[in-house]
Amino acid sequence: MPRDFLDPYSRGNSICHRLPDRLKILLVLAMIITALFVPPENWPVHGCMAAAVFLAMTLAGIPLRYLLVRLMFFFPMIMGLAIAVPASTGFTKGWDVMATVLLRGTLSFMGVLWLVNVTPFDRLLVALRQLGLPQMLAAILAFMYRYIFVVFDELERMREGRRARTFSKQGLLAAWKTNAQLIGMLLIRSMNRAERVHGAMCARGFDGEIRTLDS
Amino acid sequence: MHIADGIISPEVCAGMAVASAGAVGFSLRQLKKTETTKTIPLTGMMGALVFAGQMVNFPLVVAPVSGHLLGGVLASVILGPWAGCLVVTLVLVVQWALFADGGMVALGVNVFNMGVVGALGGYAVYAGLRRWMPSPRGTITSAIIAAWLSVLAASTMFCLEFALSGHRDYSLPNLFALMTTFHSLIGLGEALITGFVLSVVLDQRPDLVYGQPSLDIMETEPPRRSWQATPLRTAVIGLMIALAVAGFLAPFASGYSDGLEAVAEKMGFDAQVDADPQVLVLDEYQVPLGSEESWFMSKLSVSIAGIGGTLAVFAIALLLGRGLKPGAEAGHAT
Repeated sequence: MPRDFLDPYSRGNSICHRLPDRLKILLVLAMIITALFVPPENWPVHGCMAAAVFLAMTLAGIPLRYLLVRLMFFFPMIMGLAIAVPASTGFTKGWDVMATVLLRGTLSFMGVLWLVNVTPFDRLLVALRQLGLPQMLAAILAFMYRYIFVVFDELERMREGRRARTFSKQGLLAAWKTNAQLIGMLLIRSMNRAERVHGAMCARGFDGEIRTLDS
Repeated sequence: MHIADGIISPEVCAGMAVASAGAVGFSLRQLKKTETTKTIPLTGMMGALVFAGQMVNFPLVVAPVSGHLLGGVLASVILGPWAGCLVVTLVLVVQWALFADGGMVALGVNVFNMGVVGALGGYAVYAGLRRWMPSPRGTITSAIIAAWLSVLAASTMFCLEFALSGHRDYSLPNLFALMTTFHSLIGLGEALITGFVLSVVLDQRPDLVYGQPSLDIMETEPPRRSWQATPLRTAVIGLMIALAVAGFLAPFASGYSDGLEAVAEKMGFDAQVDADPQVLVLDEYQVPLGSEESWFMSKLSVSIAGIGGTLAVFAIALLLGRGLKPGAEAGHAT
């Protein structure tokens, strides 16, 4: 499984990728907070920020198609939440709340999408650590990120095995049961793997303290 | 289900972030106290597993839509409450950092709803129920109930946070009803998946479950007494189910009448509605707690009325049941 299938454009070399990581995080944070505080009547401000994000996306070389696909997945989710507001008054009032939520939500989403696609996860982790993330949390996160791909591969192997052995279409309950069995077996295998990895770490002198080359 | 930015106001986000940071920090300290070097690999691997497990799609009756595992209660049941809270937090962080799923400012809110209320609170429910049902089947049942409640509690938290955010022009009781209906269905899926997965684990490697006896041959334990339906246990479980139904469903039932009142207000004859609401103590199935205007009080009072009514009925049933006990006469004979 390729390393960057989750955030495909994060390892580019544009001007956005080369900006200091902490600066990028703080920039996006500042933009989101501005978007949250500026009332929707001042929509030109939001427009300017959207244009800035769009420009940044272009500079980073993130294709429009990727952006549209991600927005297509994001929109139904926030729409479902936003539509609940007018729905709660029987579709009489609350449309402006919905519009506000949609405007701010989409803008903030694009900002974070830019951030995660110009910063690889390991560098993001270092930056977060410098911004005060506890070390143990950072260590567990790094471990988790390392093994996500291994567990994904394991899951894919198990699914392939199931496909090779399943010839007929399953009913709904059977599908749920086999899916849950898949996750259950994956859980057992992952815990076994964690124990093996832990043993290997201990064999190499791990004492619970995380040491990196620069600390 | 992740809350994006722009829905909850920044002030509420900040408050929730502080609360979450406190809870996560506390979990970290608890973990450091109890666990050895195993914490990092076990917790990290569990996070990776929950992340991967969420990619397994569970088909629904409506074809294009499918559900997936959320995993908060599952992680807590396997690794214990503190590591479970951390696992959910980390999964949320990775989802934010890789997919931009869930907002940046709203991360604290998400962690609070799903990690603190969902995983820690869910574990509390699970542990409480398991005391009554220590058998493997009881473990699964407790986890199923806890998983359902954790989803419902998260949606309730969302409604509260939305209310605190100071939006105008919406009806909170109805929003609450909408969210609760929707999430009680999602919770049903989560409960089923959690139950199925846990039954697989208990079948294959029961020692993996937190607090379960080790499979190590060196530490043999006397076999656990399997669960028996003593009258007291049956009564307590029945009462809890009844209370849950009353507490959750009672406000809904009156949600419709709220709509009616809104219409009545518009038409201008609200003078006829609630002419004299405090004649009886439980008039209109509400305990008179405060003004009718305050939605929260009115909903709360309906809930309390429902729970009170259930308790009363239960007490009567217990008293009646005493006389009809089958063993009573046989006991005299011996």
